[in-house]
Amino acid sequence: MITTEDEYVLIDRILAGEKQLYATLVDKYKSYAYTIAMKILENRSDAEEAAQDGFIKAFHYLKNFNRQAKFSTWLYRIVFNTAISYKRKVKPTFQSIETSIIEYSEQADHQTEQDDKQVYIVKAMNRLNEADRLAIQLFYIKEFNMEEVAEMMGQNLNTIKVRIHRARLRLADELKGLLKQEALTL
Amino acid sequence: MNKLSPAKEEELLRYLDGEMEPSQKIKLEAELQAMPELKERLEELRTIRSFLVRKSTFETPSKTFTQKVMAGLDAQPVKSLFSPHKGLLLLMGVIIASVLALMLLSNGVFDNTSTSLLVDTTPIKNRWIEDTTFSIPFNGKILVNGIIFLNLALALVLLDRTVLRPWFQKRASVDY
Repeated sequence: MITTEDEYVLIDRILAGEKQLYATLVDKYKSYAYTIAMKILENRSDAEEAAQDGFIKAFHYLKNFNRQAKFSTWLYRIVFNTAISYKRKVKPTFQSIETSIIEYSEQADHQTEQDDKQVYIVKAMNRLNEADRLAIQLFYIKEFNMEEVAEMMGQNLNTIKVRIHRARLRLADELKGLLKQEALTL
Repeated sequence: MNKLSPAKEEELLRYLDGEMEPSQKIKLEAELQAMPELKERLEELRTIRSFLVRKSTFETPSKTFTQKVMAGLDAQPVKSLFSPHKGLLLLMGVIIASVLALMLLSNGVFDNTSTSLLVDTTPIKNRWIEDTTFSIPFNGKILVNGIIFLNLALALVLLDRTVLRPWFQKRASVDY
């Protein structure tokens, strides 16, 4: 387990030229970074590339890391921005929403009512605006608190708080609407 | 069902997140017993919350992730086609050329350059081949206008590549 102090020592040594030590930081944070990129890009290979690119950028900017925030928060912000710029470059996949619905629908035939609800929540998630969706997804990743999500997304804490609350209420409304619609078609 | 007030919905979210004072919690629980619509809304929000918690799993990157990052550390970042210095010089040149052309145009230098270009497509004529000569109207003013337009478009591209883009990239990197 590497403490924040150990991390600073490690960063000093990396900056002094022991580049190979950067692998320790990559190993520690790669799952988080990749998860962030996946939430944004929703595609494994793009997310992997963006997360790797984020780590490489962080290495090049390491001397600018001022240690006012945690290294992890600083790194996640770089990964977040890198993934967002990848998303702008990558052509939109028009079938993504439909595909996810079909995948869930196939499973839903054999699963419980609870799983049926999941299909509709996924559908409702896709109807949220992107910033609200990302805020809520990042907030529910274990170990990310609201301050970290705000820092990562480059927005103030109150905005993120509003986004998360609004998204939860909106999801509940959407789910209710979709279930009502489904009941009417039966 | 009557729409709940935003304050009441906020209370429900805080209740689900366990952020309520014990006294507030007791009060809300009593309200939940008395108001079925409040209870219904709480259940909707609970479903969403448990879904989000379930979905909050970590993704696992490939086994070669760290190796790929370490291999990429030495890769040089892609440099812009123009250095800022060269780009600015070129930009100035393009602007000066456009201004000169505009000045000449406004002074009427190209006003008398309208003519027709005769084009003869048949090198050998005889009595069986009819005359295929035709003319193309040529207007110097239109041509210069076109050149100025292309110059301005080039100036915009240069402005983007050599001034704006590097400036925004620098600003973004300072943030890190």
